[in-house]
Amino acid sequence: MAWQYSEKTKQLFMDAVHGKPGTHLGEIENPDGIGEHGSLACGDALRFTFRVKRHETDPTRDVITDARYLTFGCTSAIAASEALCMIIEQGRYTPIQALSVRNDDIVEFLEGLPEQKIHCSVMGAEALEAAVFNWAQRRGVDLARLGVDIHAAEQEEGRIVCKCFSLSEPYIRRKIKELNLRTIADITGAIKAGGACMSCHHTPGGLQDLLNETWSNEKKTSDLRILPNAIPPVAPLAERPDPAAAGGSGLSPYQFAKRVEKAFDEYIRPMIQRDGGDVEIIDIKDRLVYCRLAGACADCAGAGKTLKFLVERHLKDSVDEQIRVIQV
Amino acid sequence: MKTIYVDNNATTQVAPEVYRAMVPFLTEQYFNPSSMYAPAQKTANALAAARARIAQHFGGVRPDEIVFTSCATESNNMGIQGAAKASPNRRHVITTSVEHPAVLEVCKDLQRRGYEVTFLPVDRQGNLDLADFIRALRPDTLLVSIMHANNETGVIFPVEQLARIAKETDPNIVFHSDATQSVGKLPIDLAIDMQYIDMLSFSGHKLHAPKGVGGLFVRRGAPVRPFLIGGHQESGRRGGTENVASIVALAAAMDLAAERHAEDETRIRAMRDRLEAELAARIPAIEINGAGAARMPNTSNIACHYVEGEGMLYQLDAEGICASSGSACTSGSLEPSHVLTALGVPFTAVHGSIRFSFSRYNTEEEVDRIIEVFPRVVANLRNLSPYWDQAANAPRGDAGVMIQKTHSG
Repeated sequence: MAWQYSEKTKQLFMDAVHGKPGTHLGEIENPDGIGEHGSLACGDALRFTFRVKRHETDPTRDVITDARYLTFGCTSAIAASEALCMIIEQGRYTPIQALSVRNDDIVEFLEGLPEQKIHCSVMGAEALEAAVFNWAQRRGVDLARLGVDIHAAEQEEGRIVCKCFSLSEPYIRRKIKELNLRTIADITGAIKAGGACMSCHHTPGGLQDLLNETWSNEKKTSDLRILPNAIPPVAPLAERPDPAAAGGSGLSPYQFAKRVEKAFDEYIRPMIQRDGGDVEIIDIKDRLVYCRLAGACADCAGAGKTLKFLVERHLKDSVDEQIRVIQV
Repeated sequence: MKTIYVDNNATTQVAPEVYRAMVPFLTEQYFNPSSMYAPAQKTANALAAARARIAQHFGGVRPDEIVFTSCATESNNMGIQGAAKASPNRRHVITTSVEHPAVLEVCKDLQRRGYEVTFLPVDRQGNLDLADFIRALRPDTLLVSIMHANNETGVIFPVEQLARIAKETDPNIVFHSDATQSVGKLPIDLAIDMQYIDMLSFSGHKLHAPKGVGGLFVRRGAPVRPFLIGGHQESGRRGGTENVASIVALAAAMDLAAERHAEDETRIRAMRDRLEAELAARIPAIEINGAGAARMPNTSNIACHYVEGEGMLYQLDAEGICASSGSACTSGSLEPSHVLTALGVPFTAVHGSIRFSFSRYNTEEEVDRIIEVFPRVVANLRNLSPYWDQAANAPRGDAGVMIQKTHSG
């Protein structure tokens, strides 16, 4: 898959990794707001910090002057982080105004992103939101009273739907509405949910159910509902031979194994050890005994013959004529 | 800017000798080898000669045990599905968790059709546990499909030993091996060392032949039904007019590989080992995946902690260096490489793994250039990373805490 990034995305990435002046790589010390999103396990993570010019009397009129990021992620994640900082600094926004910066704005700034990379822009918007929430706490601003809907806490709450990326039901529901996600592929492209093991796609309460519930007013659910997967009939296995019957010696597998081990301990191993070698039983399956020669015998060209003529012969004589020894 | 191509496990350039050998069969000798007139006989003879030479390179097996296909993916499909079709009463398949998708997905498809499939795990170095393998063998085991060399890490499985154990346990078990990465690079003797292997898949474009040609060794008497039906070609085992030019090229590529094996192997291994040693000395917090296992001499899979693979590839590309990565961001899916995940590569590094794979056309100067560029590429990304302390050039002291915090869900 070749890179399908816009020139703008490539440019921002290269500027960032080469630390060109004017880029926003880094972390502000003693920031006025700090927010994180993603995790290393998910393949991308972002730490976003900003500083404000404090208004003397009214904290809601603070203006963001500097924004910085540290990002672990792919080319587009880094470019999206850079874009986020540029948009915010250029806009001279208050933190509350900054909340209106959406992932669409980042995508537009980047002159487009491939569909499977949209989540990189969403990550930026999420980290920004968390940072604004953090700023509000530090400055004693009650966002709820100002009518600002903040969701930073919901990641920790609610049932986890997508276990691979630790995404909760309230978060996915909100994103389905906000980003107008209509299919599972849309959800995966935007927020990664369902992108790895895919087991949450059609389970009860899974992504398809959340989609159906969200959009059921517009479209009859019956049109969308996926029938529960029929469990495929499991074909009967070939009948397993009864080990005791197969051996003809009337021993249970346990008794049989004990007899083999006894023969090893009392006769076979002492004899091999006399030559500086050793032998180990790896497994016993029906009348097949899997062994490995060790010590001086391990690299001996005659090892296979030793096992066949010494070990197998003795086991046949002392335990069961049908025993076969397999060298491991 | 000169391109440095170190992605030879993905595909290889066609060798000039190979190209010269195939051209006449695209120009003058374009005939269908099945036609009756005299000119076509020469084409048919060339096809037969190519088959016989390839059989020689596999230790002197019978020429009619070589079936030509369009690629290794087709060979794997034919081997696995053909074995399942031939023995409908057996319903259990053993494979490994690190196979190429051309085997893994075919096995998963069998699973959906009611078969039981055992996916053998590997340890941190990429090795199989023989005891796991023995325990997995069952009276209803139909097929074992285990790759020879892994495409991502280069780790080599002891398929000759595994095949012998399977056959000694039950001669009716069919043993298939995907040898796409090893044919032309490791000696493969199907007459003696690997006499218990029933089927072996290979591909032209991994050994300096063109894309679009592959093969499946099918041992005489192995219960395998055809996959592509619709023609008498390949003794009725694979319909479709033979891709004569590419088959001739495949034989020429195998001749060349055999001729140059000793020299190529020594030189390629030396380049790879030098690259790994130099990078390990220059970059903190990296590890070589599969270093503790038997490994292909041309493959290096390096896990760089706290960086993401795609950003590395992109910067390398800008420097003209072509490599590949097991990162989620470089695949169509969001999941990182199933091979590295199966190895248990820590999640701080599984997204930051990069593969360099060499061929005989790489040079020491190219290795020098990678040694010069790559440490900078990693450092650039670590400077951006929230988990890296730039001043100390080490992971941040609180990286563990951050990871715990954000990964607690």
